[in-house]
Amino acid sequence: MANEEDSIPPMQFYGPTDKFGFGQLAEIWRTRELLYSFFLRDLLIRYRQVVIGILWVLLQPLMGMLIFMGLFFVLGTNAGSSTVAFAPIILTGMLCWQLVASSFRDATGSLVNYRHVVTKIYFPRMLLPLASLMCAVFDFAIGSLLLLPVCVFTGTGLFWSTAWLAIPIALWLVLFCAGCIAWLSALNAHYRDVGYALPFVLQLGMFVSPVVYDVERLRNLLTDKWVWLYEANPIAMCIGLLRWSLLGTQMPSAIGMATAAVITVLVCFSGLAWFQHADQQLADRI
Amino acid sequence: MSIESIQLDKVSKRFRLGATNEYGRLTEAIASGVKNLFRNSPAPTTIRVPDSFADRIGAGWFWALRHIELSIHSGEIVGIVGRNGAGKSTLLKILARIVTPTQGRVGVRGRVGSLLEVGTGFHPELTGRENVFLNGAILGMPRAEIRKRFDEIVAFAEIESFLDTPVKRYSSGMAVRLAFAVAAHLEPDVLIIDEVLSVGDQAFQRKCLGKASQLGAQGRTVLVVSHNLAAVANLCQRAILIRDGRLVADDVPERIIDQYLSEMRAGDGQRVWDDDDSAPSSPEIRLRSVSVLGNGSDAPASEVDIDQEIVIVVEYKVLVADTPCCVQIQVKDETGSYVFWSANAPSMNLEPDPWFSKPHPTGTYRSKCCIPGNFLNDTRYFVSVLIGPEVGVVSVRHDSALSFVVHDTGAMRQEYTGSWLGPVIRPRLNWRTKKQ
Repeated sequence: MANEEDSIPPMQFYGPTDKFGFGQLAEIWRTRELLYSFFLRDLLIRYRQVVIGILWVLLQPLMGMLIFMGLFFVLGTNAGSSTVAFAPIILTGMLCWQLVASSFRDATGSLVNYRHVVTKIYFPRMLLPLASLMCAVFDFAIGSLLLLPVCVFTGTGLFWSTAWLAIPIALWLVLFCAGCIAWLSALNAHYRDVGYALPFVLQLGMFVSPVVYDVERLRNLLTDKWVWLYEANPIAMCIGLLRWSLLGTQMPSAIGMATAAVITVLVCFSGLAWFQHADQQLADRI
Repeated sequence: MSIESIQLDKVSKRFRLGATNEYGRLTEAIASGVKNLFRNSPAPTTIRVPDSFADRIGAGWFWALRHIELSIHSGEIVGIVGRNGAGKSTLLKILARIVTPTQGRVGVRGRVGSLLEVGTGFHPELTGRENVFLNGAILGMPRAEIRKRFDEIVAFAEIESFLDTPVKRYSSGMAVRLAFAVAAHLEPDVLIIDEVLSVGDQAFQRKCLGKASQLGAQGRTVLVVSHNLAAVANLCQRAILIRDGRLVADDVPERIIDQYLSEMRAGDGQRVWDDDDSAPSSPEIRLRSVSVLGNGSDAPASEVDIDQEIVIVVEYKVLVADTPCCVQIQVKDETGSYVFWSANAPSMNLEPDPWFSKPHPTGTYRSKCCIPGNFLNDTRYFVSVLIGPEVGVVSVRHDSALSFVVHDTGAMRQEYTGSWLGPVIRPRLNWRTKKQ
């Protein structure tokens, strides 16, 4: 009996108390198994009734790359850098952009599409957008394997000395995405406008970030005075950094890096606090 | 010895009226945000609550629950009783953490499992096997535990050969069986069951309640919302009564049920149109009120005993002299099927009604229709009223003017927990057997 008394779980209180939402992180960690289940579900559903299945993960960035290469070839413009072949440049851009776009797109709808569950049972709601993000990261990781054959094919040398930096840089991008989807998913649950506006924002974002061109092309246009502002966009920063670490393009400016880092941190913390705030009324409002 | 496993401190919950059927628009939020910025008044999320709630509805807000103080010890099985809209489901959702209270705090010890619906999170594209893991995880089972009990779950659901078929190809019965099998293997410290929201399947409800009593016997805490008062009486050691968002009583189930039933009887059972404009009317006739009298009293009641005569009273006003009137009622059950149709015509009357189809002088009239006791079943009925110059001709009508529930008070305290589901009526007939 005494043992049983010892193992009694503590009383957990909840109510309108938490402010900054840090408690969510601990809770997400506690329910990581469920996060994995949601991730697995999203992954399995995506490739059900699809003939070539997981090959799509490789095809999508490859097709994106070929389309833009073809487009620029027809237009006769060179959007790449002067030193590195265009194909790997555009592929890194495409991979990053697909990580951003698909995580934003799937995560934004995740709470709303799952509202019949959200209103029937409790679990940390953050798990749903996070599972969407995990799917996007999975695609990103698989797609990254394409970089090797593309580099070999175009005769581009990978910079092995700095290549390991690609992992922390990718994690930075993932962190930024996590902050953004915390905002987007909970906003969309309250205001469906977000879901409608997102495609346009993504379209714009694709051209505002150096997805299909290299930042070098813009350097002359923006001049050193403004380039940091362009690089303050964490997506642009991460793409630029990835190209630098893997392909040896010009390194983004330190001031741009600092600004992007500050923005990332702000987005993440505010996203956490906002999600917590929105979560309180989620089941009533969704 | 017994420890507290659920504790509610002054929990209140309010909802925005009208917000449920209208998506919040971003422009609205921005507009009100800007307005508040200039007005320097509290933001919409800041809540100022008066000490005494004058009314449940105020300024576009609806208080679903007010100042609920409750503590439940482990091993208790507690029934929550109250009429529709009293706030029972909101209370359960707050306990299950689905809804955050507006005020107050909720404490729960250990793992909470909530069965507000079967098969929450089932995905049609996934196979039965995948869904067991997903659903189990959503219900809060650790993966290792699901793996350990997987065979049991599958055997319980009797779907062994369909395990790797997507659930979308399952029959609905198979899907429900699988969903219930997962839920039945859930072993939370606190289980929350809403019978109202669960599928209306009788067998499933019985299984749900069986599960509840089994968990209670293991020393776990169970909370049940059920409209089946007999089940509450049999299953629970304690019940609470909720009325208009307040916890009004906390006692042994028998006493709570008595109080609940007497309150129900004191309640509605009457539909009055005070306002001439809104009353169903024609140029000649205006409906004044419809009421149900039962339990041998003259007071209107929405819940009546099965063994008492039920009287339906229709009050109407004749506006133009010499209008012929024939009063008709239609009684339907919850599924909308006709139980019977009656009028004050001689062919449907035990004794002829002197006013039937006679020219009525202006004035107010009351027509009574008596339904014998031990005739209707213990379920809810809806009464529609029609008035016209003769049988089958309608000039004023009001569909489902009111509803009433017939209660089988006798069977309620006995062993039989089910209801007489199925038959529309349940008359007591004359049976006799003779040896030839």
